[in-house]
Amino acid sequence: MASSSMKMALWTRNALIRGVRPQMQTAAGIRFMSSKVQETDAEFDARYEAFFNRKDIDGWEIRKAMQDLARMDLVPEPTIVAAALRACRRVNDYSLTTRFLEVVKFKCGSKQDEIWPYMLQEIRPTLDELGISTPEELGYDKPELALPNPYEIH
Amino acid sequence: MASKMALSRSFRLWGRALVVQRRSMGTGPLGYFPSRLDIGKREVVGFGLTGEECYVEDVHSPFPAIRFKEDTAEIAMLREKEKGDWKKLTVPERKELYRASFAQTLTEMEAPTGEWKPILGVTLFLSSLGIWFYLWMRKFVYDDLPETMTNEELVKDQIRFMIEGRTNPVQGLASNYDYEKGQWKK
Repeated sequence: MASSSMKMALWTRNALIRGVRPQMQTAAGIRFMSSKVQETDAEFDARYEAFFNRKDIDGWEIRKAMQDLARMDLVPEPTIVAAALRACRRVNDYSLTTRFLEVVKFKCGSKQDEIWPYMLQEIRPTLDELGISTPEELGYDKPELALPNPYEIH
Repeated sequence: MASKMALSRSFRLWGRALVVQRRSMGTGPLGYFPSRLDIGKREVVGFGLTGEECYVEDVHSPFPAIRFKEDTAEIAMLREKEKGDWKKLTVPERKELYRASFAQTLTEMEAPTGEWKPILGVTLFLSSLGIWFYLWMRKFVYDDLPETMTNEELVKDQIRFMIEGRTNPVQGLASNYDYEKGQWKK
C-alpha cells in the first residue's frame, strides 16, 4: 500500500513536471515500468530551489511555482520553502509569504502535528532574517472573520 | 462523492466571487470574450485558477489572479512600507496587507459551516412525517391482520403443512426438521 501510493505520488509529480522542464532530468533514477528517466527527489528539490532563487523571478512565476507545488502530492522541503520566502522578499510581496506558509501547512494534511513543527524549526532562521510572521502569529490558524453565505443574501 | 463535493464547493466559491465583483460585458484586451469581470483597479498578480482575471477562492488553487482589494491610498502607503524591512511591519499592518490580497485565510475557507445541522434536522423531520403517515394508515385505512397471522392454531397448522410438504428442504424450513425422529433438529 505504502509503496503503491508512493509510486502514485511519484507518477503524479513527474507527469506534472515533465511538461514543464524536461531538459532538467539528466541522471538516471528509479524506474517504475517506464522508459522515461525519473527525476530523483534531490533533483526535484534542487530544481525548485533554483527556480525560486532566480534573480529575475517575478510575482507571476512565484505564484506559478507555488501553485504547482500545491497541486502535487507532497509537502515541499524546508529548503524550497525558504527559497520561496526569499523570492517573495525580492518582489516585495509580504502577503504571499503568509499565504504560502498557510498552503504548506495545509499540505501537511493529517500529519500536520508532525511535519509543521519540523517545518517551522527548519525555516525559523529565514523567518527571523526576513521578519516574516507565521500564520499562527497572525492568528490565522483559527478562523478570524466570516463571510456571509452568498445564497443567504437576498 | 469527494469530486462531487468539490464541484459543488467550487460552484459555491464561484458564486462568492461573483458577489465580490459585478459582471459586465468587457471591451478590454479580450473584447470578444463573452463575459469579462470588471476588476476595477485591482492589480493582476498571477494566472489564478483558469487564467481569467477574477478573484476565486479555493484551497486547491490558493493564488488568485488578482488582489482582493483595489489599491486605496492606505494600502498604497503600506505597499511602500512593504518595500522596506519587513521587521518594521506591525501585526495589524501585516494583516491589512494579507486582507488586501486575499479575502479569506485557508482556515476560514475550511471552517465548518454548521450546514449539517439543518440538513439532519429537516431529514429527520421529513422521515417522521412518513412514520406518522404510516401510523395514520394503520389506524384509519388498513384492515386488521388476517386470522392466519393472528390465530396461533392456524399458524401452527400452516407450519405443520409446510413440514409435511417438505418445504425448502436444503436451506429453509424443512431442513431444520428431523423427519426420522419427528421433531425439530437440535
